[in-house]
Amino acid sequence: MSSDTNNAPEPKLDLANWANLPNKLMLSGIILLIGLIFTPEKFGYTYLTGFMFFLSLTLGSMFLVILHHLFDAYWMVPIRRFLEHIACLTPWLGVLFLPILIFMAFGHVDIYPWMSADPETDHALHVKKVMFNKGVFYVVSILLFAVWWWLSNSLRSHSLAQDESGSAACTHVLRRRAAAGIFIFAVTLTLGVIYWMKSLEYQWFSTMYGVYYFAGSVWTTLATTYLLAAILKRTGHLAPVIRETTFKDIGTLFFAFTVFYAYIHFSQYFLIWNAAIPEETFWYVKRENGIWWSVGMLIIFGHFFLPFLSLLRIDIKKNISLSLYYSLILAGWAWLMHYADMTYNIMPVPYPKGTLGGEGYGLWDFVLSISALAFMGGFLAKVFLRNFISHPPYPQKDPRIAEAMGVYVELESEVEDKANASKA
Amino acid sequence: MINDIQAYGLLAEFHTPADAMHAAEKVRDAGFTRWDVHTPFPVHGMDEAMGLKDSKVGWFSFLGGSTGFTLGYLMIWFMNSYNYPIVVGGKPLMSPMFPFPVVYEMTILLSAFGAIFGMLFMNRLPKLYHPLLKNCRFKGATHDKFYVIIETADPRYSDAGTRELLESAGCKHMETVED
Repeated sequence: MSSDTNNAPEPKLDLANWANLPNKLMLSGIILLIGLIFTPEKFGYTYLTGFMFFLSLTLGSMFLVILHHLFDAYWMVPIRRFLEHIACLTPWLGVLFLPILIFMAFGHVDIYPWMSADPETDHALHVKKVMFNKGVFYVVSILLFAVWWWLSNSLRSHSLAQDESGSAACTHVLRRRAAAGIFIFAVTLTLGVIYWMKSLEYQWFSTMYGVYYFAGSVWTTLATTYLLAAILKRTGHLAPVIRETTFKDIGTLFFAFTVFYAYIHFSQYFLIWNAAIPEETFWYVKRENGIWWSVGMLIIFGHFFLPFLSLLRIDIKKNISLSLYYSLILAGWAWLMHYADMTYNIMPVPYPKGTLGGEGYGLWDFVLSISALAFMGGFLAKVFLRNFISHPPYPQKDPRIAEAMGVYVELESEVEDKANASKA
Repeated sequence: MINDIQAYGLLAEFHTPADAMHAAEKVRDAGFTRWDVHTPFPVHGMDEAMGLKDSKVGWFSFLGGSTGFTLGYLMIWFMNSYNYPIVVGGKPLMSPMFPFPVVYEMTILLSAFGAIFGMLFMNRLPKLYHPLLKNCRFKGATHDKFYVIIETADPRYSDAGTRELLESAGCKHMETVED
């Protein structure tokens, strides 16, 4: 009772000085352009890594919105609106994907080796050429963004309509969309990650690659959600609806996905290790070379053990939100780990030996990676902020909003009963 | 001998969860330590109203889990690569990989044991006798009544003062429970 109401009012967080940050970040596009012109191959791989990173955030948000409607989860109502906005960034990610598409259509260097391999002489490609040919690649890529555009926007538009009307019909429509959407989501995410990331090594087999990317995506998204909720509580946007227990719940789900991701990635490794078939093992053998070994260790200990052991206690899950710095560390660490994971998947393709400098992974790759992150982050943040500011910050008339706020709204019959009792 | 019977505590009956919760807040604020609330169903917010801290049972699960993790690895290492080494599929005799499912199961098993036995230990269970169970009125705790019981062993307990406190909290019935 008393722990939910904070008596000492905190000073309101003013982010006006940071308003220009997205624009400044987008300036790094100049570095990307230099990279595109002079080192197209390095540009391609680092840009793809950044792209897959941000795709995680939008798809993770889309999943959380769907999850909310599927399970009618009351605790997620306060944070649902900004997740809807992040999910609606998918068409903009489609725009960010254009350089990769154009690059492949007109570029001289293929970042996807199967595009220049000949299926007649390459058996691994020959058996998979139904999926791995340029035409299907383009059609599927465009189709995926179209489907995500429709799904994310329909999930948001009915939610926004409910702000006006307060009609329960919106909730019912959203539930039906979510029920169909979860299947569409599963299939499209798997297709996307197979085409854009897994097909870098088209000879490889892994049936759990889709769910592996999904687990990491939702994990990162939950850390981001935690930070955004902590920030928006302090700026006042979500102050009336976010409570201590909201952070506990986000933290618990984050913790669950820490275990889920580890379980999935371990299972993938374990099956390949046990079966010991060269068609599968080569993927991990390559990733034991040079620096990729260290990145792998970083993922084991930093992506799993550290968050697992430090978030075991229930009070930690709540108390991190008390400090904006701690929330930032949590989200920053999750971003770093997820980016390391994306790098682990993509960068060993151009640098199979895992050496640093010279022929290997160099400073310029690092600069390009950071620039790609900064450019895409700035661009997406700009769109997100524009959307967030022009709509109410949380679902205003969701049937479960009062419950999420921890207040009890009396039913009309109860009010009548009380009035009758006082008359008598 | 009838005179040997001691009073175990003071049982106060309430008719709504809200009344019981407000009474619990009063008892908490008065600084009592040996007391409890019994309700027919879980009342949200009662933990805070009673001033209960997060349960310590988690530590028992953690201890059990860590033991299971260590024992699991030790067991496989002892059996597969020390006591009776066998090469399977050209794999190394010991690796962190292949025993992991077993180690994982051991972790889960022993942390579940830790949780369940830790819970029993913290609740001082099994307990074969409790004075409340022979109180006829107390049956209502499994039906539609809410009870606050303050033990006479509480250092702050005083016959008149505690009665007054519970009456001011709006209790509907009060009686002494015999040990």
